[in-house]
Amino acid sequence: MPSSQTPPPGSTAVDPTAVRPTIADARILRVTPDALIATLRELKAQGFSQLTDIGGVDYLEREPRFDVVYHLLALPTRESSIGDVGAPARVRVLCGVDVDQEVPTAVALWPAADWAEREVFDLFGIRFQDHPDMRRIQMPDDWEGYPLRKDYPLRGPASERTPRPSFALKSNVAAGTPASGRAAAALQKQLLEARSREVKTAAEAGRTAQTGVHPGASVTAGDASAKELAERPVNLNTKDNA
Amino acid sequence: MSTIAPSTAGYAVDVVESTDGRMVLSMGPQHPSTHGVLQVITEIEGEIVTKASPEIGYLHTGIEKSAENLFWSQASTVIERMDYLSPLTNALCYYLAVEKLLGIDGQIPERAQQIRVLLSELSRIASHCVWLGTGGIDLGALTGFFYAFDLRERILDLFEASGGARMHPNYLRVGGLAQDLPKGFLDKLDGVIAMYEPRMRDLRGLLQKNPILQDRMIDVGILEAEDAVAWGMTGPILRAAGIAYDVRKAFPYSGYDRYEFDVPTRTEGDAYARFLVRLDEMDEAMRIIRQVRKELDTPGNWQMTDTKFAPPPKETIALSMEALIHHFKLVSESFRVPAGDVYQAVEGPRGELGYYVVSNGDNRPWRVRTRPPSMYNLQVLKKIALGELIADMVVMIGSLDPVFGEVDR
Amino acid sequence: MALGSGGDFLLTTVDSVARWAQSSSVWPLTMGLACCAIEMMTATAPEYDIARLGSEVFRASPRQADLMIVSGRVSKKMGPIVKRLYDQMADPKWVISMGACASSGGVFDNYAIIQGVDTVIPVDVYVPGCPPTPDGLLYAVNLIQQQIKQGGRGGILARA
Repeated sequence: MPSSQTPPPGSTAVDPTAVRPTIADARILRVTPDALIATLRELKAQGFSQLTDIGGVDYLEREPRFDVVYHLLALPTRESSIGDVGAPARVRVLCGVDVDQEVPTAVALWPAADWAEREVFDLFGIRFQDHPDMRRIQMPDDWEGYPLRKDYPLRGPASERTPRPSFALKSNVAAGTPASGRAAAALQKQLLEARSREVKTAAEAGRTAQTGVHPGASVTAGDASAKELAERPVNLNTKDNA
Repeated sequence: MSTIAPSTAGYAVDVVESTDGRMVLSMGPQHPSTHGVLQVITEIEGEIVTKASPEIGYLHTGIEKSAENLFWSQASTVIERMDYLSPLTNALCYYLAVEKLLGIDGQIPERAQQIRVLLSELSRIASHCVWLGTGGIDLGALTGFFYAFDLRERILDLFEASGGARMHPNYLRVGGLAQDLPKGFLDKLDGVIAMYEPRMRDLRGLLQKNPILQDRMIDVGILEAEDAVAWGMTGPILRAAGIAYDVRKAFPYSGYDRYEFDVPTRTEGDAYARFLVRLDEMDEAMRIIRQVRKELDTPGNWQMTDTKFAPPPKETIALSMEALIHHFKLVSESFRVPAGDVYQAVEGPRGELGYYVVSNGDNRPWRVRTRPPSMYNLQVLKKIALGELIADMVVMIGSLDPVFGEVDR
Repeated sequence: MALGSGGDFLLTTVDSVARWAQSSSVWPLTMGLACCAIEMMTATAPEYDIARLGSEVFRASPRQADLMIVSGRVSKKMGPIVKRLYDQMADPKWVISMGACASSGGVFDNYAIIQGVDTVIPVDVYVPGCPPTPDGLLYAVNLIQQQIKQGGRGGILARA
């Protein structure tokens, strides 16, 4: 049965970067891994002095499958006031990467690339050639799998699922310490008073005629024993107890 | 020469080989002064640090993966929990990116923008209060903590009044806000504005000229402008190195170009310079808040009237079939965002917080990549700790002000 | 150190005095992980002041603490460390699981977060909230104090 939450067929894009609306957030370049370092070096020479971020995206059905996205910013490299800094230009370099394809590292150009590339490796499995420390950064070192890939389940493979918390398996009856000794005692007192009132009114009602009894009503006073009456659930939310 | 390898247990380090007098010290991940779950594997020779490698990931939460499985408006609940000291900043940046993809970024009502600016600046002050308090505790200056956290309490009262929760109010929505400011909010805000000046005078008096603090912070952890840019620094650390880059001035968003404020900058680049820059930033934030306060007296729309993205007012649901259907559709299957990718940045308390949001046309984000300022800020510890005393490690980590929800996500 | 669990009649008054003393100075371990840690710090700040309940100092060393407040989401990488710290704490020790993430995984039902720290260590009091207000944490410490006075230790469920 089609869910209302599934998008209608043909309405999702396989390559969103190719069909993006006109948003003036950055100049966008698309390169292959072979041309990547040359392009980045060229951009750095043009004044894009800061590598703001390296991110990975998994476009599951696209060839090449992954995008490694480099965000660059053209900042001055010596003391400058707001006027000198102005509105620095941004550029976005999208590098399409296949599964098992390696990407050259940008650490030589910007030391900031170190951890960012490690994170792309950790979460997507894209290796960077000549990286000084190519190992996992977020997940434990012995983790298997690359979590942010689209074919990696949200809760992880069955081997990684942790048990549910223990209180979820126990009944509520076992839980709970009363708020304070006095509150529990007051509650007990209220219950006893309500029960004795019920027994009294039920006994009186039993002497009068039974008229207009709702089919859903509980056992009438005449039929029930005192024990059953005492154990009936009591509604404390009556105007006597308000 | 020591060779260190991370052990397969994931948390211990194995010293594989050690041939000289260096000691490998593993600081963290549970440590009173690491501002969260950080492990710094330091190699020290006597008291001097010869190598510092921070190990992160102890708070990795899979927020970006969770966001891919939630609707566009639901994703902000997990995204707010990244930089947990200023949750509204995360939500604002994310929603600005989504609004850009939807093409409605020019239609956000003025009052909504004003309130967004107000709460962003209050978040900045609240976040710096935590930095100031905990930074002082790291150095042994315990009194400042109480003063700073009391100021933060009054600001959290405002968040609770507007969004319902002290931290993580989830008050923003696509197209504006969840609801208007409640009655009495502006009076409370006036109270905070009135208490700010004397409180900052107290805090500065306690800390700024304190000779012990100055001794511990001046010339510690120096980072020059060129290195700061190369290591990806933004925010107070970059400004303390001399480059006046502030996203609010460079790429104004949410009406920031209408307000008058300065961008405090220093040139020394040490921990004391960052300390002074953040204190001045708190003052500038209050300056913006005063300007916004005047504008908030005039009523206005707090949400776009286009009900394709924003649920219609609750009162109309009982009267209008269309309103009911829109509400139902928005809650059960959310709106769709046209395919595309966008990068949006805001000036968070730690620097340039950016979101690279990719949509494939569906009602869920395809990818939300965070540009985490704290992660890049923390990475530079590898560089600035070299040659410093081990006792200064705590000062340096405090001056970088990392938040691990953002570093690890 | 089991106080009075053998029921030595002559020592019951001493037991209750000892338990009262223990409950009046519960020193927490600094186990701040995420957002809940900020609210835990706020509970030490003047408005809420956990010190008036006896938690005068937060000890960084597990050897010196008797209460572990797990405040924040516990990732799979951090789980073994929490267990190690719990093992290093000396008996008697109690655990508060503060917040939805520590109690049950919270909003994060995914590959990275342990779905409840009580799958790793025994928990005495769970505090719901995301994050819970510092009032909730103070109430949880109150419940721990009641448990101490009643002679309880790890594993008893209670809701704050």
